[in-house]
This record gives sequence, structure tokens and C-alpha cells, in this order.
Amino acid sequence: MDISSLIDSLHPLEVKVLTTFWADPSGVLPTEQLAKTSGLEPSQLSMAVEWLLAKSLLTVDTETVTPIVSLTKIGELYFEKYSPIERVLSAARDAATTGKRLTIQDIQAREGLEPAEVSGAIGRLKKEGALLIVQGGCLESTGRPSQTAEAIRGLLQQLHGTTRELQAFPEAHRQVIQDHAVKRGNAKEPFRIDDRVARSLKLSAAGIEAAQQLSKQGVLEEVSQLTPELLKDGSWRTKRFRKYTISLRAPRIAPGKKHPYREFLDTVKTKLVSMGFQEMRGPLVETEFWNMDALFMPQFHPARDIHDVYFVKEPKQAASIAEPFLSRVAQAHQDGGSTGSSGWNYSFDMERARRLVLRSQGTAVSAHTLAAQPAVPGKYFSIARCFRYDQVDATHATDFFQVEGIVLGEDINFRTLLGLLNLFAREVAQAKEVKFLPAYFPFTEPSVELHVRHPKLGWMELGGAGLFRSEVTLPLGVTVPVIAWGLGLDRMAMVALGIHDIRELFTDNLDLIRSTKGAF
Amino acid sequence: MPTITIFKQDLEGLLTGPGEARQSITIEQLEESLMLVKGELKGQNPDSGELRIELQDSNRPDLWCCEGIARQIRVKRLGSLAKYGFLTAKPKALKQLTVAPGLEQVRPFVAACTATGYRVTQEGLAQLIQTQEKLAEMFGRKRKTVSIGIYRLAAIEFPVAYDLVKPDEVSFTPLGMDTVMTLGEMLLVHPKGLEFGGILAGQDRLPVLRDAKRQALSFPPIINSREVGEVKVGDEALFVEVTGTDLPMVVLTLNIFAANLADRGAVIEPIDVRYPYKTALGESVVTPQDLVKSQTLSVSTIEQALGQALGAKEVAKALTAYGYEVKTSGKHVTVTLPPYRQDLMHAMDVVEDVAISRGYADFLPVMPSDFTVGGLSRIEEVSDRVRALMVGMGFQEIISNILGSPHDLRDAMRLEGTDWGQLVEVDNVMSQNFSALRQWVLPSLLRVEAASNRAFYPHRMFEAGEVAKFDLTQPLGSRTVMVLGGMIAHADAHFSEIHSCLDTLFYYVNQAYSLEPIQHPSFLAGRVGAIVLEGKQIGVIGELHPEVLERWQISVPAVAFEIDLTQLAERP
Repeated sequence: MDISSLIDSLHPLEVKVLTTFWADPSGVLPTEQLAKTSGLEPSQLSMAVEWLLAKSLLTVDTETVTPIVSLTKIGELYFEKYSPIERVLSAARDAATTGKRLTIQDIQAREGLEPAEVSGAIGRLKKEGALLIVQGGCLESTGRPSQTAEAIRGLLQQLHGTTRELQAFPEAHRQVIQDHAVKRGNAKEPFRIDDRVARSLKLSAAGIEAAQQLSKQGVLEEVSQLTPELLKDGSWRTKRFRKYTISLRAPRIAPGKKHPYREFLDTVKTKLVSMGFQEMRGPLVETEFWNMDALFMPQFHPARDIHDVYFVKEPKQAASIAEPFLSRVAQAHQDGGSTGSSGWNYSFDMERARRLVLRSQGTAVSAHTLAAQPAVPGKYFSIARCFRYDQVDATHATDFFQVEGIVLGEDINFRTLLGLLNLFAREVAQAKEVKFLPAYFPFTEPSVELHVRHPKLGWMELGGAGLFRSEVTLPLGVTVPVIAWGLGLDRMAMVALGIHDIRELFTDNLDLIRSTKGAF
Repeated sequence: MPTITIFKQDLEGLLTGPGEARQSITIEQLEESLMLVKGELKGQNPDSGELRIELQDSNRPDLWCCEGIARQIRVKRLGSLAKYGFLTAKPKALKQLTVAPGLEQVRPFVAACTATGYRVTQEGLAQLIQTQEKLAEMFGRKRKTVSIGIYRLAAIEFPVAYDLVKPDEVSFTPLGMDTVMTLGEMLLVHPKGLEFGGILAGQDRLPVLRDAKRQALSFPPIINSREVGEVKVGDEALFVEVTGTDLPMVVLTLNIFAANLADRGAVIEPIDVRYPYKTALGESVVTPQDLVKSQTLSVSTIEQALGQALGAKEVAKALTAYGYEVKTSGKHVTVTLPPYRQDLMHAMDVVEDVAISRGYADFLPVMPSDFTVGGLSRIEEVSDRVRALMVGMGFQEIISNILGSPHDLRDAMRLEGTDWGQLVEVDNVMSQNFSALRQWVLPSLLRVEAASNRAFYPHRMFEAGEVAKFDLTQPLGSRTVMVLGGMIAHADAHFSEIHSCLDTLFYYVNQAYSLEPIQHPSFLAGRVGAIVLEGKQIGVIGELHPEVLERWQISVPAVAFEIDLTQLAERP
């Protein structure tokens, strides 16, 4: 890094330290003096010095290490209440006066001392000849003084509430201090010896260069933020703006945005409108009539039983079904009526037609449209929420969208049906290759399954379609041929959203919704 | 729709026409051919030759078996169906099956035949059992309208009687048991009795099939006798019967079994069923019987529907190669379904078979040329507009299940016993979690909030979606309306924050609203208002009640609003 970019990257604290050195004629400053001259807090100063040492702008001129002695918490406690050695000795002397036997256990119990403290003290007293251990483990005072006990008492008094350099003590006392100083593995000692480091610092060659430059541009105060005030009075001209490290990670924000699945459905919606489809809507609660009967699904059809459709608890039935649709559909089921069909040959249950269900297929919406005098030619679509009586798992939801619709017109036939499916394949799935397979739906004949080669998924079923049976269209008043189509888009949506479980389309995980990029 | 298991080598054997060398078929060829039967290969085991095939057409029970699939492919390859002799030959003396009076009230119809000369193989037996099960289950509506029994012919002495007896009058050892029991006991203890006994509920006399020695063959539609009704590999003579409540379906089912066994080389001998009551086919009904379903239609009907000029000859060729019998006369064709089919209701059914026989790939797609104008419904436009505004105000869109639990939608919102808490509920509940339609959208947003306390704050979310308002004045007992719900949750969430959003929203949809203080159990008293548009309440705004948050285990305050967009959409 060249010197000017190095200077630009300096923190204001570092600048302060460098300019302090530059101002000092000797060029060498002990840390105490540096603190005084620069006016920095000790913590700020030591931070700045460490940074500058790391950048080799400062070097250490001299460094002296002075051992300093102080009392530990235990030392202060001993000062108040005597040390173990003093207490053992005085207990032994008391026993000698009263003639009582004194055991190690007695001392421990009476003085509340740890076994290690007691044995350490006894060992030293015995060595100094102040104590004897006689038969039966009894302690006996010899009456002689203990140098250690006396030295400790003196040191505790000298060091109480203050510190002193170790070298200030005579040799014998230094030994006692070192013997009774906290060390690794022995924290219960009265004395502590700390190294006080006194440093003198000076600028390195690069530091001198930097300080020199700083002194030249020193007129410009550095600021971190451009403010309206700086702009208003033009004083920004006399400021330097601290440079940022722009490679740092940006803080995360949560933007307002569409739900990724909804965005996918919106794209489909836009495509369909662009192809000339008009949106249709219908209720979530349907009668069996519009949900199934009108679609020529016989009332005994297996997909109509309680294991496939949700029935409404209350009310159980709709007030009525609009005529003439009810009679005509009933007739079509029974014997075909005037649809040219022989019908299903069973007795149609008018009561059952009124039963309320949760819409189980989007085609129910198409049935309503057929009965409402749709435009001819006409194209309609709906993205309808439907409900199936299914155990919920990774591939089954009870509650899902169906994209469905119809196309009415004099020119509608099997080949235009295939043409429409081709269009869907290209526009909705961006697929160039398609396959048409024979299929079965109760309400269409002929029926087709559309398989496409999806750019990411390979061959997949994109949808089903067919020409509505006359048994569906004629009772609802439509005399032209009608294409009914439906697209299965959940798999495409899941790929676009990068998920593998259909339940995640409706996830309650806000983090996931926020972070999903969506189809683009 | 049924998914069946067949074996490739068994299929290959059946693909062979009379006097032909055995045909083998690759998986690719099979998949191509399955288009003829609306079938899809769902799985295969190359070692065992096992194939799992799903058949889509619920009106073609003849295709739900290896024989039927093979037949459709074979007919297409050979160009026509070889006639089944047993339908036309008139033997002098037929075996008889007599029906007892009273059965017309219980299970009126029966059809039966014998099949001899085909030695039952492992694979053939598996197909017999599977076909019997699939047809009775799906075509026979769980044995209600049709059930099937197959027996060892050698043990049976004719005439067989289809009788009606008291529950304790007849006893035999049923399949799957090793003790003799009465029909009544079978209904009470046999697994099949428990499963299908409902079909005979309320009957004080029960159907039974017995032979001339008064030996019981079975208790239709429940269970066969173990002695006579357990067919084994190696058997060479079978008796097949079908009972039920719909005569054409009963006869069709027997026709399918007869054709299947004949295709495997059996000689089918019809049986004369004698009824003591009138049936649509008379009082003496010989089965199997071709019910001759035919229709005359103009070639132009077919051409118009397909969008392609074909001519009578091509139409006849395609249909013949699909198993039909076709007579052409000028611009008309008269078509007759093969005896194993009855699914001809309308001319369009024939049209589809023409297309399938020729192959869908034979038809060139043509774009519909009519010009139409596309567009969105008014409510969708309004919804899109407010969604864009909510996104602009920094809200994340949410999308949720409409089906929820009464607990979440009502109880956790403190709405028990209130009008706001009235729900459209499901009658046949599978899971409490999915047993009611949401009546408002805020619980959907709280659901996300409750699950997302680790997502960084603030949380601003919205959902525009449908809800169902319970309303007995409506023909459907409810109204489906589109609502918009918005919610803000974070440590300092405040009423004014959500109020600003609501205010901004109404500014841009150009409607003047006002807030009127109301009581609403889901919100803190004094911090909740009705959103009023020209005297009409169209929504609610407020700070969610701490008890609501507690019930959802949400640990930050939340403020929210909900608007009925349907009412907004009705405004000019």
C-alpha cells in the first residue's frame, strides 16, 4: 500500500497519535507521556498504538519490565484476619499455655482452614523449628519465633491497599513474597507479582513519512458523514471524508414484494389474457349440481363419494338450483334428453344435486360460464382454488389452484383443440416438443393429455383437455363446440421456486418467502 | 382409475392371433401401444417381467386386465376383431341356472358360463383374481351393482340355483376360514362380511348359490365357499358367475370374463338363466350375450368433430381396427360395439375411437382463428392494484390455505360465539387442521407470524385472497369474497403505523373512508375501528389483543387491518 492510501485508511485515533509524535521534538515518547500529550483515553490510546505497531508506523524504542507486588483478595483477608501460618502458630502457643492437646484436625475445625493450608503452614513452622509434631499427631510449640510468620505479617502491613516494586524489598522478603505469590495451580496466596511494562515508542521511517504528510494536509478535519449543515455553509470544502471499506457485506433489508408463487400465477394470468382469454370467477362453496352433475359426472361416479369431496356441514343444501338447467341436466343423465345421448340410465336425484360441497374442480366455474350465455366466439379462464379430500403430504395438498378454461366457437374441433394445446405448450411451458395422448375425463370426448418437453423437467404432463360432451353443453344452452382445458402447473411452479414439497407453496416460513427469488 | 399389474410374457402370449408366431414387444412399443387403451406404464420390474399400468377410462372395464389390453392392441394390428363363437353358436342343450322368486327385491340378476380346456397358469390365475377385484370394486361400485364368483366346475352339479334363504338356513366354509358357518355368521365375523355386508342391510333373507346337490357355492356378493370356490393353478374347468342389480352391467361383466378366458384358449359354454320374474332380456336369458350396442351416424359428424375429411371408408377402417363392427351406406356408418363394451352413449364416443385408432399424431394441430379480447375480472383488477400498493409500502405478500381449523380461525381470535366467528365447516372432516373455510384472512397472517419469530423484524405482510362468509340468507349459505389483510409486527408496532398504510391505500384507490370505534374481541378495546365507506362497514383495523397474540404464541405486538375488496370493487 502506498503511503497516501495508507494515510486515507487511518482511523482518527491513529491520526491523533501520529500527529502527537510529529509535534514532539525528541521523537521518542514513553506511553505515560504520550497519554498526557495526546489527551486520549487509555483504552483508545492502547488501541491506536497497537494498530500503528501492526502497520509498522510505530516501533518500540525501549521496553522495561518491572515486577510489581500487590495483595490479592486473600492477602487483604489475611491482613484483616491473620494468615494460616500465624493462626497455626498462635493456636499451638495457646495450647502450650493451657496444656491442652492440639491435633491437626482440631486446628482445621477451629480455624475453618483447608487441609492444604494447614499442612503448608505446619511444614514451614516445623522447618523453622517453631513447632514440633509429637506422638499421636499432636502439635507442640517450641516457643521459638517463626521468621516466615513475622515476615508475612510485615509484608501484609506494607502492601495493604498499595503496590510496590519487588526490587524494593530485601532479599529475604523477596523470597517470602515469591513463595507466597499466586501462580498457576495455586491461586490461594496473599501476594501477586505483575509485570509492569513501560514502553517508549517512536515513529518508524514510514511513520515519519506518514506523519509528515499528515502535517501537510493537517488543515483538513476528517468527518465520517456529510451533513446538511456542511452543505449549507459550504464547510464540506475544509473536510476530509473518511473512506469506507466498501467490500464489507451490505446489511440485509426486507423489501416489500409479491409472493413468489403468486408471481408465478400472475405470469400465467398475463399469458392467458394476452392470448385473448377473459377471466371468470366462481364461489368456493358449490352445489354438487355445478361441481359435478352439470359436468355429466353420474351421481354414482366414484370421484363423488365422501372420500373425494368435502361436504359442507351447514347448511347441507342450497335453496334451489336454477331452471331450466336442473331439469335439462337431470334428463341428460337419465336418458340423454335432447342431447343425442342415451344418458347414464339411472334415476337422477334432485335432492343430491343441491348438496353443498367445497369446489373440487375448476371446471365448475366453466359450467357456470356456459350457463350464463357466454360470448361466441369466446375464450375464458380461471385460476380457481379447489379442495380435495386428500391426506396432505409432499405431493398432495387439500387446497390448491387449478388453472382451467374453455374456448367456444364454430371453428372448434379436435384439430383446433390440439392447436390450442400447442399454443399453451409454447407460451406457458416454453416447450417446443409436444405429445398428445388419449385421455379420459367424464365431461369431454375426445379427451387429450398434453405432454411437453420442459426445458428443465424433461417430458411432463402439462394439462388435460377435450371437447365438452354435448351432454354438458346442450343442457346449459350452448350449441357450438367447446374446448375444456386445464393446466397442471404446480410442478412447474415448484421447479421455478426451487422447492420439492407442495406444502411449501403455502409455507408459513417468512424467512423462506422473503429469500425465495421466484421465477424470472 | 385402476392401476393393474400384468406380466410381460403373459401379455406377449395374448398378443398373438390364431396361428401366429409368438409376438414379443419392447417397452417402447408397449408405451406407444398403451395409447390405444388410455394406459400409462407406471412401473416395471425387468427381472420378473412385472408391469404396472394405470388405465384412465372408467367406462372401459374390459381394459382393466392383461387380456383386454392385449386384445385392443391385437385387434389394431390385425385390423379387426375375430368373432367370439360362443355368442352366435346355438348348442342344443344348455346348462341351467334357476333364479328363486323374491330375489328381484334383493339382488335380481345373475349371469354365468363355463370355461373348459384352458389350464389355469400362475399368471392367468393372478389376472382372474385381479380382474374380479377391480371390476367388482370400481365398475361394480364396491360389489353393490356387480360382483363376481369363479369356481371349479368339476365339483358342481347342474342345474345351479340362485336362491334366497334365511340367514341360518345355509352354512358352508367360506374362503379364508376353516370352520363351517351360517350366512348370518359370515356377515358378523368374516372380514368380507364386515366389509360388504352393508349391501344386504335390512334383508331378512339372503342370496345363495347352490348346485343340484344343495351344495353351497357362494354367498353373493360376500364370499365363495372354500370347497368349490377356490380356483387353483392347473384347474382346467371353471364356472363363472356374476350377480348384481343392473342387468346390462351384469351381462357385460360376464362377457368380459368369457372373452378373457376365450382369448386364453378356453371353450366357453353359455348358461341359460331362468327367472321367475320379467327382466329387460326376458325370463330366459342365455349368457354371455351380445347386447348389441349400435348407432348410425353420418360421416360428416365425425369429420366435423375431428376437423378432418376422412371419408366413410377410412372411418370404417379405423373403427374396425378398434374392435367395432361397421356397415357403411353412402354418407352414413352404422357401428356396433364389440360384446365386451357398452360405453356408447353419444356419437362423440365413436369420434374419439376413430381418433385413437388412427392415432392422435395423425391429426395436424390447427390454431383456433377466432379473435377474442382477453381481460381480467373487476375484482382481480382491484386485487392487483391493492397488491401493488401494499408491495410499494414494503409489505411481503403471503399466500395461504383457505381451508383451516376452527381453532385458528375463531377460537385463537377470541371469536367463539360471535358473528365474526361463524364458519363454513366441513361435514366429513379428515383432519381438524383442514375443516373450515377461513372467514377472514388475518389468521393466515398470524399463522406466518407465529412461525417466524426468527425472521428479522419488522415484519410487514399482506395477503389478498378469497374467504367464505357464512350467510344463511345466501342461496349457498355463504358468500365468497376477496379480502385484503395487512399486518405489521415488531417490538414497537403501533396503531398509527398501520393506520398510515390504510390511509395511503385509500388515497390511491381514490375512496374517502372513515374509522368508527367498535368493539371487536380480536383487538384491544379502544384501539380498534370499523373501516367505513359511505356508511357501510367494509373492514376493520386495530391492534391485536394480547390474548390473541398469546394464543398464537406471538411475542411481539401486532397491528393489522382487513378490507372487503369485493365491496370496494363495486364502487365506481
